[in-house]
Amino acid sequence: MRYIPNTPEGTRDRLFEECRERRRVQSALTHLFRQRGYSEIITPEEEFYDLFTISGSAIAQEEMVKLVDRSGKICVLRPDCTTPIARVAATKLKDAVLPQRFYYNQAVYRAGQEHRGRHREIPQCGIELIGAKGRKADLEVIATAVDALRACALEDFHIELGHADIFPAFARRLEMDREELEQMRALIEGKNFTALDDFMSNYAGQPGCEAVRRLAYLFGGVEVLDEAEALAGRMSAIDYLRDLYTQLDRAGYGSYLRFDLGMVHHIDYYTGPIFRGYVEGAGDAVLSGGRYDQLCASFGRPAQATGFAIDVDGVARCLPQAEPPRLAAVVHYPPHLIGKALALVDSRARGTCELSPCNRLESTLQLAREKGIGTVLILEEDGIREVTVS
Amino acid sequence: MTDRLRIALTKGRLQKKSMDLFTRAGLDCEPLENPGRRLIHSLPNYPLDAVLAKAPDVITYVEHGVCDLGIVGKDTILEKGGSFYEVLDLGFGACRFALAVPEGRDFYGSYKTRTIASKYPNVTRAFFEQKGMDVDIIKIEGSVELAPLLGLADGIVDIVETGATLAANGLIPIETVVRVSARLIVNTASMKLHKAEIADLIARCEREVRSAT
Repeated sequence: MRYIPNTPEGTRDRLFEECRERRRVQSALTHLFRQRGYSEIITPEEEFYDLFTISGSAIAQEEMVKLVDRSGKICVLRPDCTTPIARVAATKLKDAVLPQRFYYNQAVYRAGQEHRGRHREIPQCGIELIGAKGRKADLEVIATAVDALRACALEDFHIELGHADIFPAFARRLEMDREELEQMRALIEGKNFTALDDFMSNYAGQPGCEAVRRLAYLFGGVEVLDEAEALAGRMSAIDYLRDLYTQLDRAGYGSYLRFDLGMVHHIDYYTGPIFRGYVEGAGDAVLSGGRYDQLCASFGRPAQATGFAIDVDGVARCLPQAEPPRLAAVVHYPPHLIGKALALVDSRARGTCELSPCNRLESTLQLAREKGIGTVLILEEDGIREVTVS
Repeated sequence: MTDRLRIALTKGRLQKKSMDLFTRAGLDCEPLENPGRRLIHSLPNYPLDAVLAKAPDVITYVEHGVCDLGIVGKDTILEKGGSFYEVLDLGFGACRFALAVPEGRDFYGSYKTRTIASKYPNVTRAFFEQKGMDVDIIKIEGSVELAPLLGLADGIVDIVETGATLAANGLIPIETVVRVSARLIVNTASMKLHKAEIADLIARCEREVRSAT
């Protein structure tokens, strides 16, 4: 069989700048998370498929990359990071005093469709704050989401807040079965304005019909909270978001915050505030998170929890390209001075100087010319001679 | 990042109607009338750049965010899927997907698994799944009407406008699968980052669509 040297669909080699950009984002994020008391957890790449079904994860079966282990059990390459971490928190760490703060810096895998330009391997970096409920935990995580994107040197971004209770509160007054409810949810989530209008016309006259119709439009600045109240009356979820906004605004985060009250993804999973981060230049959200108070209980230890994941490459693609270091000098040295030669390399700016592997000076000079290196540093017993190469 | 929006328009049948709509909405489409060799057309009196693309590519460009908006048929949306906001039914380009079978054939009168030929295998699958009916689907790239004539398929699922092509080949539409028309779609991130600009364009189009009906 002929060997085909390409990588499989949805995967790619990453060379130099792409690595540097990814590492730069990862290091900015992990630095911030560690600073704020989050400890790293690395979970296996491979987990039992069942883990993601009992937890009510919203990832569709066909989106998971599946394998069969030696015992015949179905495994998947980790499709999200939160579920395994909740599993660890509720089992191995079941006696740890709550709250616990975790961060992760690992890839998720999605099967996806062919030829859509999507990657199978998506590096994520994020935090989970487990065992803390209420306003202060939500404030901490949302403010950290803003700081995380700022730490990556992004400026032109929004964190958009929603709340899992808003859609049910709006929909409560309408008489419809579960299937219709799901249809309506998808139309609001997809901002499918016309189809939603048509769909809602079947419920015209029912109390709350107009409010639900408008829910899809309720995104933007803090004023949408007032609009929501005008439509549907006071509700605790709106009050809660307003309170979060007030505190965050006073702390200087207000300019980064927006709202989308029609954000109704994964209704059975999220239980409180939900949020997404959008950056100028990225076609999709680069940050996604929220409160998920039921997940840990499905592994045997009830614990409120909130957190978010950042799409590392999504952020990296939005950053201005950093100038890579240029090789400026090569060191020619006799073998017994290897220690001094390396010390010389170490003393120069990172990535600008390297050792010559050549024995003869002419060869080193030739090498410098071919690689376009301007200077040869000749290391001898009694010092360093500098030769400029044209 | 410029403050101009970028829209992908479906080439062909929907292109002229998209331009008519824009013109009625007060956008000067002159650069699109005379495209020349340029591929990106800047409208002179509105902050919008337009590109022309094949229907499935419109979705690809919008999904990846390289275009903020797109105009594409619901038929393509149903077949290709994807994640974007479908904000407006533009009304034009209206037609339907129908199941058509050779005249005189009782399509449902047998428990044998039927074979359906279609250019739209996903639409076909969804239709028969909803009926709880197993069918074999064969994807055909060109004239689908040929498949039942040659004995390859028991029926076809295809777009029907007048039904004349079907009739000429001895096929009759027996069931409407779904009605389709042109839609305005928006990239999810663009909708959030450029709300005011996109809302203005949607509102202009919506006004014209409403006054046309």
